[in-house]
Amino acid sequence: MKRLRNKYTKDERVKFISHLDLLRVFQRALRRANIKVAFSKGFNPHPKISFGPALVVGATTEGDYMDIDVEEDISPEEFRKKMNKVLPPGIEIVESYEVELNDALSTKIKGAEYILQVNVKKSIKDIQNKIEEFMKRDIIEIEKESKSGRKMVNIRPYVLELKVIYEAENYFKFYIKLKLGEGAPNPLHLLKALNDYIGDLFDMDFYKLHRKNTILE
Amino acid sequence: MNNLKDKIDALLMKVSKPTRYTGGELNSSIKNPEEVKVRFAFAFPDVYEVGMSHLGLRILYHLLNKREDVYCERVFAPWLDMEKLMRENDIPLFSLETKTTLDKFDFIGFTLQYELSYTNVINMLNLAGIPILSRDRKGLPFVIAGGPCAYNPAPLSDVIDFFVMGEGEEVINEIIDAYIDWKKRGGEREEFLQIVSQIKGVYVPKYYMEVYNQDGTIKEIRPIKKGVPEKVKKRIVKDFGNAYHPEEQIVPFMDIVHDRIMLEIFRGCTRGCRFCQAGMIYRPVREKSKEKILDLADKLIKSTGYEEISLTSLSTCDYSQIEDLVKKLIDKYKDKGVGVSIPSTRVDAVSINLLKEIQKVRKTGLTLAPEAGTQRLRDVINKGITEEDILEATKEAFSAGWTNVKLYFMIGLPTEMMEDVEGIVDLAYKIVDNYKEVKGSVKNLKITISTSTFVPKPFTPFQWTAQDSIKDIVEKQDLLKKKLKSKVLKYNWHNPYMSFLEAVISRGDRKVGKAIIKAWEKGCKFDGWEEYLNYDKWEEAFKEVGVNPHFYANRERSLEEVFPWDVIDVGVDKRYLIREYKKSQEGRITPDCRLYCTGCGVKDFDEGVVCFEASKK
Ligand code: SF4
Repeated sequence: MKRLRNKYTKDERVKFISHLDLLRVFQRALRRANIKVAFSKGFNPHPKISFGPALVVGATTEGDYMDIDVEEDISPEEFRKKMNKVLPPGIEIVESYEVELNDALSTKIKGAEYILQVNVKKSIKDIQNKIEEFMKRDIIEIEKESKSGRKMVNIRPYVLELKVIYEAENYFKFYIKLKLGEGAPNPLHLLKALNDYIGDLFDMDFYKLHRKNTILE
Repeated sequence: MNNLKDKIDALLMKVSKPTRYTGGELNSSIKNPEEVKVRFAFAFPDVYEVGMSHLGLRILYHLLNKREDVYCERVFAPWLDMEKLMRENDIPLFSLETKTTLDKFDFIGFTLQYELSYTNVINMLNLAGIPILSRDRKGLPFVIAGGPCAYNPAPLSDVIDFFVMGEGEEVINEIIDAYIDWKKRGGEREEFLQIVSQIKGVYVPKYYMEVYNQDGTIKEIRPIKKGVPEKVKKRIVKDFGNAYHPEEQIVPFMDIVHDRIMLEIFRGCTRGCRFCQAGMIYRPVREKSKEKILDLADKLIKSTGYEEISLTSLSTCDYSQIEDLVKKLIDKYKDKGVGVSIPSTRVDAVSINLLKEIQKVRKTGLTLAPEAGTQRLRDVINKGITEEDILEATKEAFSAGWTNVKLYFMIGLPTEMMEDVEGIVDLAYKIVDNYKEVKGSVKNLKITISTSTFVPKPFTPFQWTAQDSIKDIVEKQDLLKKKLKSKVLKYNWHNPYMSFLEAVISRGDRKVGKAIIKAWEKGCKFDGWEEYLNYDKWEEAFKEVGVNPHFYANRERSLEEVFPWDVIDVGVDKRYLIREYKKSQEGRITPDCRLYCTGCGVKDFDEGVVCFEASKK
């Protein structure tokens, strides 16, 4: 048995596949590629595939990670090639390498970088300054729903970077860098907080979110 | 970013299960619409996960896309959340593959699988901005329909431009060819309808009219266009063994109702259950060879990666080499973790053995369909099984380790009395005793008893019978609810209003069609989904168009009555149906026609039609 760590992309065509459905996509692809995946022992055996943190449904990525334990002696490169032949259009493994069997992906993931594009309802002046002010605050609160009801949480500690990288007449593009882990917000939470802060100038119905990279330790 | 695709994407961010609308699944067809001559939208009037579970769609989709000059795309009824957003944002109904609005297609082809999807047909046309009445349409597209319910075309006659009777794979290419020819000539819309009316199996409703008697029954169905056939004969795939079956299958991203490979091993059924429409309209029985099936299975497993393969047909255990076939499949694919499933189980030892084999790879449930609670009633409906069969099969299954059994019955069958309903209860408790005998106690036992309500269907020996009133059905259900109370028994029943509507529409005439449109105007859709059925609205609709629904559902017909579907010839002779009807009243059974031909007439229906029986000789 060996553990292969894979970096994969998901483009526009498949951005609405949920995290759960993606697992099935890979399982079936493995069967099409005729690659033997390892199964967990126990009463209800399941394939040993683990994903990094879930991407928001509707977002694209060029840097998500997943580990697959395989039951055969296959080189990472061969694995990658075989899988790419059978994956549905829009999903591609761009990098594969072997890691130790006790190397858990979940403990390696530190943060992620995103590009977020959003339409604006009317032109916004000096957005850069506003963002600077916004980022200077110690507390950025958002409302989160949990089992015990709604509560306000501070997401500021997770936000490593937020800047405008492109300004068009009717939309903006942001670069966002977030810490990942327990309780971490997604970029849309941040966008919503910013939108509230600047007085509802974004058209929150029209956005595109792209994960540029996941930062591993 | 404001083109249609972006607008749709914006909506998809907000709806449940967005992959219902995205397309792009593995093995779906990607073509350049500019490069084809015909664009065909295959429309299923229900939500994606239901429609994608349907074999007919899968066959025709791949068959059409094999042609270079045709691009077949899919469209389903958007779920209510999506429809609401689409209407609010002025987004017309679009195809999954290329997000093209339906008005840009040459054909919209609906498959009619159940009557309670008819309001969805109308709703989908409306969502696409296409007039719901055939006569209001100008230019393209043509709205066509097929599938089992199309055999009574009357209720949707004002909506559908033309119906295709019988097995679509046999006739669709002829229609497409005629279309290409017509389009090249730049013909009028009307002219094309005339051309297709000459293609065997095509029924153009506007070329016929229903003439009524004083009492509201039909006097005749009169052809009102010169040269159209008096009766439209269904099309039958003759060389089924070599007929097209896709070697690939779309693999949806989301979990659908039947999320597995569907491999059709034979078509038709010889059992002759008198309530069963499928058993009559899909005659004759035609099998694929074992070699062919194994070859297809291999290709399908390789092209989909599915973990399960379902051998489909109306009665899979009747396949002549079923044991050998299942064993071969299990042996070959068990190491890959691919399981086999069979959709319905016969009540006998062979079937239990099959299940044991299947169980080697994946746990499988035990589902039996005695259909009626007493022998008398089982004889009436010609369900050729006995109580001993059922008890023996369950005993065998319990010994082999099964603890869950599902039993399917029908209530409201012709001649049914309360004793017959009580018979369901008795049988259930006998099975419980059976389990005790084998296992010593009722520990872990779970028996689920489901009753559906009998709906008399066109082209069956029961097409003359009355459906039970809703009141009677409720009474029978209440009895079962009361008597099937036990820790090990669970009782499920079917909404009686739904069965009533199904009965009205399935034997409806063109007048019923007006009520369907009215009900849709009042907001009815997804009537097959219990939580969305609004029966009060239907009742208002019937009243407003002056249709008495009980006339259609609860009236016994005389043998002389002309039916709305008599304009269609499905191959099974009316005299045979009458004979079977009479035998049912006398409680006499008719054997499976695999043993010998019982004379339903399909053998002599058309040149080249070969029955199982005949091919054996
Ligand atoms: S013609 Fe005879 S053998 Fe053929 S389906 Fe009818 S009854 Fe059966």
